[in-house]
Amino acid sequence: MADAVFLALSVITIGSAIAALELRSLIYGSIALMGTLGGIAGFFLLLDSPFVAMFQLAVYVGSIAVLILFTVMLVKRELIFKKIEDKRRKFVGIALMLVFMVALGSVIMNSGIKTITTDEPAVDFRDIGADFLTYYWPALILMALILTGSVTGALILARREDVENEQRTD
Amino acid sequence: MSVIAPNFKFSEFVKSILDNVFWILLIFVLIGLPAVFIILFYIEMPVINGELLTPFLALTWLADPSRTLPILKAFMTTDLFRIAAFPGFGFAALLAAGTIFIERKMLAKLQLRVGPFYCGKIEGILQLMGDGLKLISKEIIIPAKADKPIFWAAPIIFVATAAAFVALIPVAPGWVVADVDVGLLAVFAIIGFFPIITILSAWSSNSKFPFIGGIRALHQMVSFEIPLILSLLGVVILTGTLNLSEIVASQSNFPWIIFLPIGAIIFFITILAELERIPFDLPEAESEIVAGWLTEFSGMIYGLVQLGTYLKLYAFAALFVVLFLGGWSGPMIWPPFPEEIITDGIVMGPITAKIPGLPVFSQEMLNGVLWFVIKTVGVIFFILLPRGVFPRIRIDMLLSLGWYKLIGLAFVNIFIALGLLYAGVLGPGGIL
Repeated sequence: MADAVFLALSVITIGSAIAALELRSLIYGSIALMGTLGGIAGFFLLLDSPFVAMFQLAVYVGSIAVLILFTVMLVKRELIFKKIEDKRRKFVGIALMLVFMVALGSVIMNSGIKTITTDEPAVDFRDIGADFLTYYWPALILMALILTGSVTGALILARREDVENEQRTD
Repeated sequence: MSVIAPNFKFSEFVKSILDNVFWILLIFVLIGLPAVFIILFYIEMPVINGELLTPFLALTWLADPSRTLPILKAFMTTDLFRIAAFPGFGFAALLAAGTIFIERKMLAKLQLRVGPFYCGKIEGILQLMGDGLKLISKEIIIPAKADKPIFWAAPIIFVATAAAFVALIPVAPGWVVADVDVGLLAVFAIIGFFPIITILSAWSSNSKFPFIGGIRALHQMVSFEIPLILSLLGVVILTGTLNLSEIVASQSNFPWIIFLPIGAIIFFITILAELERIPFDLPEAESEIVAGWLTEFSGMIYGLVQLGTYLKLYAFAALFVVLFLGGWSGPMIWPPFPEEIITDGIVMGPITAKIPGLPVFSQEMLNGVLWFVIKTVGVIFFILLPRGVFPRIRIDMLLSLGWYKLIGLAFVNIFIALGLLYAGVLGPGGIL
């Protein structure tokens, strides 16, 4: 059962990733990108970590894909994208991808992943939270500062100076 | 000689009916029964009255009424029943249909109109059925330059997403379709799908008004998701869990709205915005952009979108009840099932009917469902009420409300929750 689900998820993820690159229509491309991101969420579910899977869905499909879709819809495609199509570029790209995949795969295979016992119970997300607050607290503080900075920056960027004060009735 | 059907012959009419009966019986015997038995062989059958319900006994409930209730009870424990009927889709769709009728009638009364009146004898009570039949029988018109796959898929995915949201809501102790550990996170993940579906369907219809409406919906939903998520964190901090059933169970003494009223108010306002209801109905502003992102929908596609919208309304109201109003908890007001019916059976003069398998539902479950429905209907009433009272607000006011005021208030709410937690008043190991 799990093997069949894994195979189906792999096909969905890789297939929609290829579709996201290759489709002519930008909208369908971004839908395919959503399929890829959702497939990765499915892998996390398969790995018994629903916490990460739900965040993957909420953040990547729910926010980032929406932003991409939004940008794609408000932009005229012909103005930014020039057709640079080249057989050689394509093959070089595929070769580069293969090299990267082989290198990453050999690194992962040599990293001791084979000795992991797989029948252990899933890690509770409360333990992840406790780890964040004790051992990894500098990373948490750093992330919090970065996020606060970006939210504040976004709020400042969203302020409009050209709107007259009389127009603001609230 | 009839005027309507000049070539009518009674003998041929009878012959055609007999023909149909013959073919139906033949097809049922040759294909239907084997198919039923093949399906029944693969379904795990329950144990009824001490014997396993084999496929050969599966249809005995028709002949033996005393077997009906146990088989029914066994069916009610299956996932199919939970998803399709009780805590899932059917229950929610029933409440949603009731909501549509109540909304029309209540709005009419608020505006000194009569509302639906003629369909059905009493106060137009069959109006909804009439509308549904009308929507089913109407033609589905697709704009010529629409993007057909997305245009067809969007309403169906909308209903499916709303149903997935409904599946996470616990209605009574143990009565929930998907009792997941990260229930609240799953809610956030599902809410994130709605703006995508909205903007895709708006874009796919290739028309101006839907596109403007879709862009507005996207602005509104994305910017109000952040205060929505932040306003619920206070409850998570105090309960220490993301499981919705456990959150309800933690409110057996008092609901969280007592300690987190600011969070409840923010959550309510964001519900109004996420549901595109007045005063935040800019995506469907009918006086400006026809019907917003719904403009090009017709027939049952429109009906599906409406069904999804009201399922979503029920789900958000139920989420409010679960998180802030204590869900199913409340004083026991449901009467206990009479003991003598279980022991002696129903006595009617000389006849005694012993019915094994009673009671079907436990008293706690019925009481929980009653309280849950009362509270949910109350919240739905307060969601409907602004439609008769408030005008629509401008988009810049909406965005400044969402980004400046509600997010700030949500942080205030989180600090209140943290203060209560660190003061040792509430939360895991608190004094209350």
